[in-house]
Amino acid sequence: MDTNEVISITKPEALVNDIDSDVEMSDIEDIETPKDNSNTFKSSIVTPGELVTDDPIWMKGHGTYFLEDKTFSSVAGNISRVNRLLSVIPLKGRYQPETGDHIVGRITEVANKRWKVDIGTKQDAVLMLGSVNLPGGVLRRKSESDELQMRNFLKEGDLLNAEVQTIFNNGIASLHTRSLKYGKLRNGIFLKVPSSLVIKSKNHSYDLPGNVSVVLGVNGYIWLYKTVAKSNSAANTSITSNTSKFQASVDSSGSYAPGQGSISITRLEEESSWEIYSDKNDPNISNSVRTNITRYNNVLKALSYCELGITEQRIIMGYEASLAYSNIGSLIDKEAMESICQDIINNEKMRGA
Amino acid sequence: MSKMILSPAERSYLYDSLTQAPPIRPDSRTDHQFRPLEAKTSFLPGSNGSARIRLMDGSECIVSVKSKVVLSALESSLIECDIDVSGFRDDSNFVSNLKFYLTNLLQHNFPTQYLKLTSRYAFKLFIDCIVISHSSYPLSLISLTTYLALKTTRLPLLVSDVNDEEVAEQPTFSDDWDNAKYIGDFMKDGEVFQPPIFITLGVIGPNLIFDPSTEEEQVLENGLIVSFYGNKVITPISNINLATNSNNSNFKGLNRSLITKAMALGNKYCPAVVKALDTLIEQDDEEGTIF
Repeated sequence: MDTNEVISITKPEALVNDIDSDVEMSDIEDIETPKDNSNTFKSSIVTPGELVTDDPIWMKGHGTYFLEDKTFSSVAGNISRVNRLLSVIPLKGRYQPETGDHIVGRITEVANKRWKVDIGTKQDAVLMLGSVNLPGGVLRRKSESDELQMRNFLKEGDLLNAEVQTIFNNGIASLHTRSLKYGKLRNGIFLKVPSSLVIKSKNHSYDLPGNVSVVLGVNGYIWLYKTVAKSNSAANTSITSNTSKFQASVDSSGSYAPGQGSISITRLEEESSWEIYSDKNDPNISNSVRTNITRYNNVLKALSYCELGITEQRIIMGYEASLAYSNIGSLIDKEAMESICQDIINNEKMRGA
Repeated sequence: MSKMILSPAERSYLYDSLTQAPPIRPDSRTDHQFRPLEAKTSFLPGSNGSARIRLMDGSECIVSVKSKVVLSALESSLIECDIDVSGFRDDSNFVSNLKFYLTNLLQHNFPTQYLKLTSRYAFKLFIDCIVISHSSYPLSLISLTTYLALKTTRLPLLVSDVNDEEVAEQPTFSDDWDNAKYIGDFMKDGEVFQPPIFITLGVIGPNLIFDPSTEEEQVLENGLIVSFYGNKVITPISNINLATNSNNSNFKGLNRSLITKAMALGNKYCPAVVKALDTLIEQDDEEGTIF
């Protein structure tokens, strides 16, 4: 029996330390007192405590502090300039929500007319009772009985995807799920990657090869699930009311899943039944879909391990590269993860990306 | 370690995946596959033996073995263990249980005769484990690290007379550390020094899964701690709710047939674990990075 099939134990790898420790102090002095006062900074990447500029005309933004008319960086990151506003965007760190971000979160607390949601930010986000679709349609008033049965909709531990509606003054994000592509998540598994690796794009939910879909939260929280058959989302405004009712009944049989695309407002009303808060998974998830989900899980972990930005294309390329490994269990080894990422990079180079 | 809660849909998906034949684990490991480890030995200069194991998820354990010359008549045991888990009080149930498991295993399954120096004096081993971070139940991590630390423990060479029955004599040691010997060096030909280890198994439906991850622990129906020594599964074999940081609503009684199955699996796959640990020690060099 091959030992590696049971356990792999490796030595820690030596850190590749390219930083020359013998940097002479005089060099540092040079950096800290830039001779030219032009608007170009010596380097675009700064470390905490590094002088960014001694020109007082700059306005101090996030990631900077001001001492004796000089602006220093408080984080390690890239300098960003917008007109006269100078800020440093950290390379890593907690997710910073922005309005419009598509995120995945987990309910941590049910409070007065709101849910607290863990989305990986400093403070938990809030989801107001008024910002969700309740059974009975969009335009329904929220009553006191809704307040009392909030746990029947969403309770501690539940996973959902949502959009950041606004950021309050105190930095807390407010979410909403007022679209059928948002809501409770089912039929899959959850994983986390650093939020800095998720590249923002127009769309954050994709259907992938192998009958698997993904919600790639901007906050680095990812949901992998079985793709829902698209047949009934072909419904559009031109359908007659009869077929609309028929489709609503199809949906109420339990085939609803978030992320299935846009739906006309009339259907939204009908589909906002209790089904959208169901905790029941699809009873027919085949083993091949389950296996593919674990494959994608490992591909995403490999991308995260190699600190590659995560995009739909890279996930698919990683999946294709992973097909070379018949034993998916070996994908958790470091060598396999590195080789998959190398495949992705080579693939991108060949395509001229 | 924060409380871990899964949503009902996640729980049932995970449960259904793990009860398939063969089980489909979230990271697609096979049922008998451990998570990959990174290990390093002999890096603490002040200890007789040391080891460190790290998992991909950041779980990490450091074990140091120190020795002391004692009058064997005054000691109840020649091995003493201490465990420190960050985030837990030393007198908490969680830590005292771990400590009991490890101490009990080593005291009953260790070739202590090789620690005897003379008829009066012996080496006493102090095994200190620090769990810096963990997500799943850390006993297996602690025990594998302890294995590495004990295997690489070096004891100074005795230069005084072994026979002190007639003449009372304090033992004296060679002051050259290069003469120090591994515990395995004292063994007779044909014997190998392989300290006992623990492995954790998750019970779910008809399946047994090795080294369950923290997500898997949340849906297990039961957990087994299996000890392995002398190339076979030994007692104690105990069952435990591995999801110590949450309520596991799936937890239920244990089917007896699964215990025999666990023993068979342990006998089949644990030699590979021990072999991998031994291989690491052979390949580990004094130099190189420790982090």
